[in-house]
Amino acid sequence: MKLAELRKTTPSVIMLGSHPGVIQSMLDYDYMIGRERPSIVAIIAHGRKLERYFWGEDEVVIPVVPKLERLKKNVVESCNVVINVQSARRVLSSTKAAIEYLPNLKIVSIFAEQTPEAHSLELREIAQQKDVLVVGPSSVGILLPGVFKIGAIGGTQYKQLVDAKIAHPGNTAVISTSGGMVNELIHIVTGGGYGVSFAMALGGDRYPVTDPMSAMLLAEADEATEQIVYFGELGGTDEYEIAKLIDEGKLTKNVVAYVAGVVAELFDTPPQFGHAKALAQSQDESATAKKERLRKSGVVVCDHLSEIASNLSGEKLADDQNVSVITNRKKRPFISHISGDVDGDVHLLGHELLETVENNSLASLVLSMLLGKEVKSQKAVEFTDLVLKMLVDHGPYVSGAINTIVTARAGRDLASGLAAGLLTIGPRFGGAINEASRGWVDGVTSGMSAKEFVDSFVAKGGIISGIGHKKYRIDMPDPRVNMLMKFTGNSNGDRYLKFAREVEAITTQKKGNLILNVDGAIGAVMLDILESELDYTPDELRELADIEFFNALFILSRSVGFTAHYLDQRRHDEGLFRLSADDVRYIE
Amino acid sequence: MPRRKLSEYRAKQIVTTALDVPYEGWDNPDKLADGTYVVKVDQAVKKRFKNGLVGLKLSASEVKKWADQTREKGYEHFIVEPYREHDQSEERYLSLTRDGNGMHLTISSHGGVDIEDNADTLETITLDDATDWNTLAKKTRLSAEQLRALVDTYTKNYFTLLEINPYIVRDGVPHILDAAVEVDDAAALLVDAWGEEDLRRPPRVLSDEERTVAELAEKSPASFSFQLINPDGSLFVLLSGGGASVTVCDEIYSAGYGKELANYGEYSGNPTEEEAYIYTSAVLRTLLRSQAKKKALFIGGAVANFTDIAKTFAGICHAIDEYGEQLQKHGVHVVVRRGGPNQEKGLNNIRAVLDKYNLTAAVYDQTVTIDAAVKRLIEEVAQ
Repeated sequence: MKLAELRKTTPSVIMLGSHPGVIQSMLDYDYMIGRERPSIVAIIAHGRKLERYFWGEDEVVIPVVPKLERLKKNVVESCNVVINVQSARRVLSSTKAAIEYLPNLKIVSIFAEQTPEAHSLELREIAQQKDVLVVGPSSVGILLPGVFKIGAIGGTQYKQLVDAKIAHPGNTAVISTSGGMVNELIHIVTGGGYGVSFAMALGGDRYPVTDPMSAMLLAEADEATEQIVYFGELGGTDEYEIAKLIDEGKLTKNVVAYVAGVVAELFDTPPQFGHAKALAQSQDESATAKKERLRKSGVVVCDHLSEIASNLSGEKLADDQNVSVITNRKKRPFISHISGDVDGDVHLLGHELLETVENNSLASLVLSMLLGKEVKSQKAVEFTDLVLKMLVDHGPYVSGAINTIVTARAGRDLASGLAAGLLTIGPRFGGAINEASRGWVDGVTSGMSAKEFVDSFVAKGGIISGIGHKKYRIDMPDPRVNMLMKFTGNSNGDRYLKFAREVEAITTQKKGNLILNVDGAIGAVMLDILESELDYTPDELRELADIEFFNALFILSRSVGFTAHYLDQRRHDEGLFRLSADDVRYIE
Repeated sequence: MPRRKLSEYRAKQIVTTALDVPYEGWDNPDKLADGTYVVKVDQAVKKRFKNGLVGLKLSASEVKKWADQTREKGYEHFIVEPYREHDQSEERYLSLTRDGNGMHLTISSHGGVDIEDNADTLETITLDDATDWNTLAKKTRLSAEQLRALVDTYTKNYFTLLEINPYIVRDGVPHILDAAVEVDDAAALLVDAWGEEDLRRPPRVLSDEERTVAELAEKSPASFSFQLINPDGSLFVLLSGGGASVTVCDEIYSAGYGKELANYGEYSGNPTEEEAYIYTSAVLRTLLRSQAKKKALFIGGAVANFTDIAKTFAGICHAIDEYGEQLQKHGVHVVVRRGGPNQEKGLNNIRAVLDKYNLTAAVYDQTVTIDAAVKRLIEEVAQ
């Protein structure tokens, strides 16, 4: 792993777990150094679909998915940094999974404290095999000034980041076993006028995945680094290894070190200090012994922190850090992907309203708005047009239309009449397209056969949405379904329709009228088109069912029918409708 | 904190299970059948023989009496085993450790208390795929299966040290006379063979405040520690952060005021306001009790990454306000040095409450170094 390579890449970060304070600080850093967009591209967590953060004074959303497998392909490909903020017991498994799943991963930073030593050692092996720089556990992160800030390192408030003077790179590497002290050292370095080439908190465990020696060698190989500031502690023998590297000529850059823990000499039985490693198990592991050993190899070992800055040399950083200023942040109560004002004009789906109106058919506008993004596929638009027309009305006898008609005759207004009809739409009336679509997605992605799919419904005692018709039968097919078949031949092999047909083949063996009905066919073909023409993933299709996109098509189209029935009744003006006594059988 | 000692009783149970040999031993010294026993304090104390913490060749009633007497010295955990005569020449040594280079087995045909005198007989082998288990079996008098089982049990139970010293082998059956096991306490929730209740630390008489902090630490997801070094010291510290807390104490020590340092301690992991209040109160009560003529307190630490300074300082301010008049009476002066999120608000608030009782020596942000702040603290107690 070479830092020079990392400096050239554009960071694309995935966070395992969510730590809003850390995320915001990373975005603030991106903004401060003038990046055009946030380095964090996704969050792996449960419960939400997106999280909102500030981008300068503005707001951005970061997508949240429940597991790595749900990430979009381009995100998987582009991701080169992972920051893991999950709990200690999940550190090993989640880090391992990320290293295996993300082909271009270069860096992992692990935040959790109390990770078992054995897990860290296992990760060390994996990291070496895959040439991934894994920092931590219990690391507050890595900072590569001008490139990225991974983790809380450097601070979690915008002002802190500005005050730390870390927007631009310098000549001094900061390597620390302590998270609090890494920040302190950064301030010492920049306070002395020098810049940071990179800073790294290794974590205070006995076996951090990246140990101080590896970090030193990283600094040695880094062309930007001229000198190294190191913070170590009592406990462990890392400083002996560092001294050995120097003696062997493998570490030649000037090291200015502070090794904490001489105070342990005050205790009869020294306590376990703050960090896991910080307990000297033998005289060799004492701070005094380690300081002496480092000095012998020519390391500048400081007894006081304030001596560090005066032992640094080389080019100083320009005073003017020239970073963006943030003065006003306001969290908006709502976000919208559909429309909003831009410079005083209403914009719809990214274009000025009139421009959108001029360039779209009604079906194109409807599909784009319902999907929340501009749709360019002609086939998808034409299919939507057909569906909207096909669903517009199915006679005055159906529940929804009756409610509208009764309400109209009661003298209520249009909105009430329409609402009365719409309020009828649900699991038994009109909702079948949505449920059928969900069924086809689940069926296809679960890998079960059509037979197993049917059996699962039989076992639950439920009916399969999209299957069955009152009138039409296998030998007398629904002409509307035939019309929909014009839109097959999609690039995904029509896999949803194919599955629906396989289900139909089984159900019609049981009963001739258990055919694929118009709801089931609309759902299946729409799924095939969305997947083939608009690159929807199965998870996204399932989400469309969750938010009732397919229901929306029905409601929208049928609103025309209900409205028509309302107006029709008002034109007749027959007066209040009432059933007669013999329409209802009273049972005493 | 990661490496902790397991009770000898639990260690022997796990080890004998791995070796597939019976284990005869009890952790209750009060209810034994007739017999001759050896009883030991099982509380991670060193040099038990020398300190009279082993009772040899005792009857069941003598064990109970011995245990009762030892309890009066402050010990509460014991291990009792049948007493068996053996010759010191039979004693052997075996240990397992793991570090970044792998698992290491150290063995010797000598063992027991004299192992350090026979250090030249110790042989350390790093285990890997090429390990010749049969040769090791001959050297240790254990079977290859038993050796491999020890390695497995080490890994499975998250040991960080396994030392069997000594064991003897009679008729091919190993007897574990003493075993020390250290485990990674971060793995407490991942293993079945041991739990938090099996972890031992040497008994130490805690002050009320030390106990308060220990209890606080147990309950909170944040971490707290507080240890008295010199109850009548003049310099008290209320610090945040594992690295910074050691650094501040080091700076006091290196300035030649180590003997004046009254306590070590730190809080970290973004504690709540209430927790910061409880912790501060414990430190202040200890400070008020010190007989030192001049007393000073250092509050703070390094530049925090994510700990909210305003929030934690609010708890600290609350406690200072409560003890303010007493602190003033004792002539205590306070140096604050801290940076981090919301530092301005935090520092302003603490300055206000310190000023209210004339306790302020100095309030610094990160532009003043830690050692400069410590120097200012020492000025308060220096003649």
